[in-house]
Amino acid sequence: MSEDWLTGPVLEQLNSGVLVVDEHLQLVYLNSFLQRHSSVQLSEVKGKSLFQVFTDVPEAWLRRKFASVLELQSPSFSSWEQRQYIIKLPHLRPVTSSSQYMAQNCTMLPLKDPAGRRYVCLLIEDATDAFVYQQHLQTTLEKLELSNRIDGLTQALNRRYWEEQLKLEVQRSQRYQQPLSLLLFDLDKFKQLNDQYGHLGGDSVLIELTARVRALLRDTDWFGRYGGEEFGVVLTNTALAGAIEVAERICLAVNSTAVTFHEQSIATSVSIGVAQLDAEGDRAHEVLIGQADIALYNAKREGRNRVVSFSEGETEFLLKAN
Amino acid sequence: MSTVFSEEQRDCLQELINVAMGLASDKLARFLNTFVHLQVPAIELVSSAQIPAQFEARYSNTEAALVSQGFLGNDGLRGEAIVLYQLDNAHRIAALLGYDTDSASELEMLTDISSILTTTFLNGLADQIDNALSYSAPRVLSSRQTNVSQALQETAFHWELALKVDISYQLIDHSFNCDMLLLIPGEAVSNIQHILDRILEEY
Repeated sequence: MSEDWLTGPVLEQLNSGVLVVDEHLQLVYLNSFLQRHSSVQLSEVKGKSLFQVFTDVPEAWLRRKFASVLELQSPSFSSWEQRQYIIKLPHLRPVTSSSQYMAQNCTMLPLKDPAGRRYVCLLIEDATDAFVYQQHLQTTLEKLELSNRIDGLTQALNRRYWEEQLKLEVQRSQRYQQPLSLLLFDLDKFKQLNDQYGHLGGDSVLIELTARVRALLRDTDWFGRYGGEEFGVVLTNTALAGAIEVAERICLAVNSTAVTFHEQSIATSVSIGVAQLDAEGDRAHEVLIGQADIALYNAKREGRNRVVSFSEGETEFLLKAN
Repeated sequence: MSTVFSEEQRDCLQELINVAMGLASDKLARFLNTFVHLQVPAIELVSSAQIPAQFEARYSNTEAALVSQGFLGNDGLRGEAIVLYQLDNAHRIAALLGYDTDSASELEMLTDISSILTTTFLNGLADQIDNALSYSAPRVLSSRQTNVSQALQETAFHWELALKVDISYQLIDHSFNCDMLLLIPGEAVSNIQHILDRILEEY
């Protein structure tokens, strides 16, 4: 063929790695791309075992791959998504990429020379770009997922996500027979506060309130914004007495220090309803919310800035009085 | 464009596939050092729109995997091969291929197995019609978490015709079943028909 002269230069200038080994996995050929990236000279390594030259390749795995190519005379593949690289090589984007080594898409092809001897050709394509984009995508998705869970103003969990977690914790508590308590609390006279200091004033109180409450909670508790000025805390592995204690601390933390807004001091307080999980079945989380809500209602009725826990008798009494 | 095969064309295709399966099982047996028995595969030509429904029942209540690999040959022969199998089956053949699940991820194992099954079979098919195929890297379309029939629907949408090949591999100590689907676009269907006609003329 008159175009034979082409193959050499093209192979040498190809922006992919080409490596050929014989049946015994001894190196027969490396193109310039691979020689430059790995700082290896073909003349020095020709005839040596692949694993002797590239000592950090996954040997057992690669042997199996090459065996299947030789035996079945069909190609085999490896993707950077499953195995980031086969041969550790530097890539050409040392500044813009967070990864240290070239991500590689590899193809292993069966070859035969005119005499019928069998070889395997390993093609290595640089997939670093795809790898980098994939990582960006991953971080973006993680951020998106976070913003999907968080209430933008207060950074507490949003209602939807918080309720999902409550549901899961209720199931977990039922399964493992551990106590679970719920606090529902409401900023007292929030409407009045908004009228007096404006909505920005109201917002800053909500933000400060959230920060103070969070400081009192454990990592395993779920703190969410339930409505406008209403919040919920799921206290895992906590019985009623412990929950009341946490609620008292929240009450005190909010009421003891006024919130400063535009050099004004805004005194605030919260009313808290507490309930411990008692109900069974699929709707147990709804029952629990209902009970904490009744307790919260009673805390408001009894004069605000206080903690009231749900108990059957007392509730009936107060509801009757209403 | 007609995607209907004549009876002669169908018989011819079935024969080619039978031989290809034979070649594949021979190669696999040597590779795995065990006796491989491949049943005569049942083939069926269906419009690709019907495909998802056909597999829905078989793969809906089980953990299934779906791996795709594109192929391209001379004379306009091209398409996408899809291997479907139940994951517990996949673990059986993985053990046979010498994988321990620590060193290779499940996805890697799945693509390897599928690639071996697809390329040995299609190479056998190509050999008989004096063709040669090149392949794209295998890609997992769905495993475990995603719905198989939905993934199929999204893929099959692009293709006119599907050649459904039921494959059942039986090894001495193990047996497993999988389905292979060859999805073929419209113009490649008529190219295949030309190829079949040419073979029929020669005999």
